[in-house]
Amino acid sequence: MDFAFLSSTMVTLIRALPTTLVLFSLSILFGGMLALLITAMRVSGIRLLSGFARAYIFVFRGSPLLIQMFLVFYGLGQFGVIRYSFLWPFLREPMVCAVLSLALCTAGYTAEIFRGGIRAVPAKEIEAARSVGMSGFLLVRRIIAPIAFRHALPAYSTEIVLMMKSTALASLVTVWEVTGVAQRLISQTYRTMEVFLCAALIYLVLNFLILQAMNLLEYSLSRHRRPFAPGLRA
Amino acid sequence: MTLFELLGLGGKGWGAFLLLATATTLAVTATALAIGAVAGAAIAAAKLSGSVPLRLIGHVYTTVFRGVPELLIIYLIYFGGSSGLTAVGRWLGYDGFLGLPSFAAGALAVGIISGAYQAEVFRGAFHAIPRGELEAAMAIGMPRRLRFRRIIVPQVLRFAIPGLGNVWQLSLKDSALVSVTGLVELMRASQIASGSTRQYFLFYIVGGALYLILTSLSDRVFNTAERRANRSMSASTIGGA
Amino acid sequence: MPGETRLSVRNLRKSFGTHEVLKGISMDAQDGDVISVLGASGSGKSTFLRCINLLETPSGGEVWVDGEQIRMLHGRSGSRPASRAQVDHIRSELGMVFQGFNLWSHMTILQNVIEGPVHVLKRPKAECIAEAEELLAKVGIADKRHAYPAHLSGGQQQRAAIARSLAMKPKVMLFDEPTSALDPELVGEVLRVMRALAEEGMTMLVVTHEMSFARNVSNRVVFMRDGIIDSSGAPEDMFGAGASPAFRQFIGHFGNPQ
Repeated sequence: MDFAFLSSTMVTLIRALPTTLVLFSLSILFGGMLALLITAMRVSGIRLLSGFARAYIFVFRGSPLLIQMFLVFYGLGQFGVIRYSFLWPFLREPMVCAVLSLALCTAGYTAEIFRGGIRAVPAKEIEAARSVGMSGFLLVRRIIAPIAFRHALPAYSTEIVLMMKSTALASLVTVWEVTGVAQRLISQTYRTMEVFLCAALIYLVLNFLILQAMNLLEYSLSRHRRPFAPGLRA
Repeated sequence: MTLFELLGLGGKGWGAFLLLATATTLAVTATALAIGAVAGAAIAAAKLSGSVPLRLIGHVYTTVFRGVPELLIIYLIYFGGSSGLTAVGRWLGYDGFLGLPSFAAGALAVGIISGAYQAEVFRGAFHAIPRGELEAAMAIGMPRRLRFRRIIVPQVLRFAIPGLGNVWQLSLKDSALVSVTGLVELMRASQIASGSTRQYFLFYIVGGALYLILTSLSDRVFNTAERRANRSMSASTIGGA
Repeated sequence: MPGETRLSVRNLRKSFGTHEVLKGISMDAQDGDVISVLGASGSGKSTFLRCINLLETPSGGEVWVDGEQIRMLHGRSGSRPASRAQVDHIRSELGMVFQGFNLWSHMTILQNVIEGPVHVLKRPKAECIAEAEELLAKVGIADKRHAYPAHLSGGQQQRAAIARSLAMKPKVMLFDEPTSALDPELVGEVLRVMRALAEEGMTMLVVTHEMSFARNVSNRVVFMRDGIIDSSGAPEDMFGAGASPAFRQFIGHFGNPQ
């Protein structure tokens, strides 16, 4: 084992870690917000909106992320409207394109996960809320959303880990995150195995941290399922 | 050039090129699924075995190949495979660079990833077999191999169909990443067509649409297969036969 | 041949961890014997049955089937059979009927019945099908031979499971609470099949809660309590004046059967 090489590789890769983390957190944030919107449309009961949401979910879940990313990165610039709009300085940026396409894609998957969570809300609990006079946004905010989120959490954790892996695709539109840098190191040194191991380790640690955080969240949201422990109440 | 000419099947149209690439995508995915089935069955068996080292190997395999970006695994197989091949070539007295064919590298990489997901599918399917049915097989005197062949395998396959459908969809989309090795599958073909015509938007939309056709068609195939396989399970056919 | 010993159990013991479930059970079944094993839940009667065909590995003692002893290795780390092949062979000579039927859900009823004869005994398929159809007629579900288990009632499934065991031409039939999972109105059809078997001279060991079966069909009743045989004897004695106090108390819960 060449520890000098391994450690210098590790240092180089970790320098790219902030880029990976920015890609990840921005796309989770925007993707999550978009997913809420799509979910709302999907369950709105208005045919036009739910039809649009259905089509959105079908398209973004049914095609590879890479082709979506290339469509955003190469395709948008083709249109004069966009090229000469105030948005162009933004959309010219690879980072913006990568986040945009990651967020658009994860929104499709996440919307479907959220919808599953909503379907798991017992009708009786909604009835009970209505019977005390709750309706509309209050009903959603106080009753439906908390229960649905708890149900959706395990699937959402999986989706978040998948998103961490998906950030690697940004390297193909010239954003130098961990996988992109790893690829560059491989083609410079031809020491594929060592570079792979270092990069893989970084991702596995990230996944581990994400899953721990999600478990913690799940635990703190499931107080109602644990035996009553007086005195533990914060 | 008009849209029709650009996408036409003959002459200067890119239609035939894209359709051929779609077939390549299907071929890569199908090969990967087959490789993944073998790997997945082995890993599932390891994870279900009583041996601690085997279970550990199984656990590491599924954790690594489900947790590391697919692109990184493709690089590992493509570049790593090529240097391995070159080293073997040198040992045999050939001094030049030997590249792993991109189809093989791509199918192998996607197959290894698919194997990690298939292992979980098979493991879940095994646990879905009612224990009593295995006991009944033991009680009738079936030796272990016969039990495996007659009782376990048919039931695992049946319970695994929906999960395998998901893995197929996943591998179909992962196969787009194989384009980085230069294999002209649907993703790479869309890149080539859009690059040479400067019609990026058009060709990525067409490529995406072809992927959508593939995913929705295969969804239908797996749904039908699931219905067929579960005919013996549903009580709805009572008296109907 | 009547009078020949079909099944012999000597000092059978079984522990799960430190918990001793069977504390030395001995019993013989002659050809044509129908033995009902009674006992409260937790008395070890199901474990006893499952130790005979090694679905559970006994911790000690001997099991003989038709004069052949199941060879066991008792080591420090536990017990195991000396030869898997012998275990498979012995199991093929013992029919087992489970509480939960355990028909193979991916096979039709006919396929369930011929599976053992064709693949374990390696007999010609056509012959096995002919015999299977006879057996299915005998248990009264000939018309269901091409149905899948999920399409049958519990009583029909249990009768199919009995036919599946009989197709192996077993030397002894073991029944593990065969009617306990059935709706009350379906119990009778299964008991009728078992009674017919008993009358044909099949050697049977039946773990059951059906007091009327124990009293009217079996020729011997064994009462288990806390992992030992509390008392045993002919049903007339057991249900009559000769009952042990524990057995008297036990049947008290069931009322006095006819």
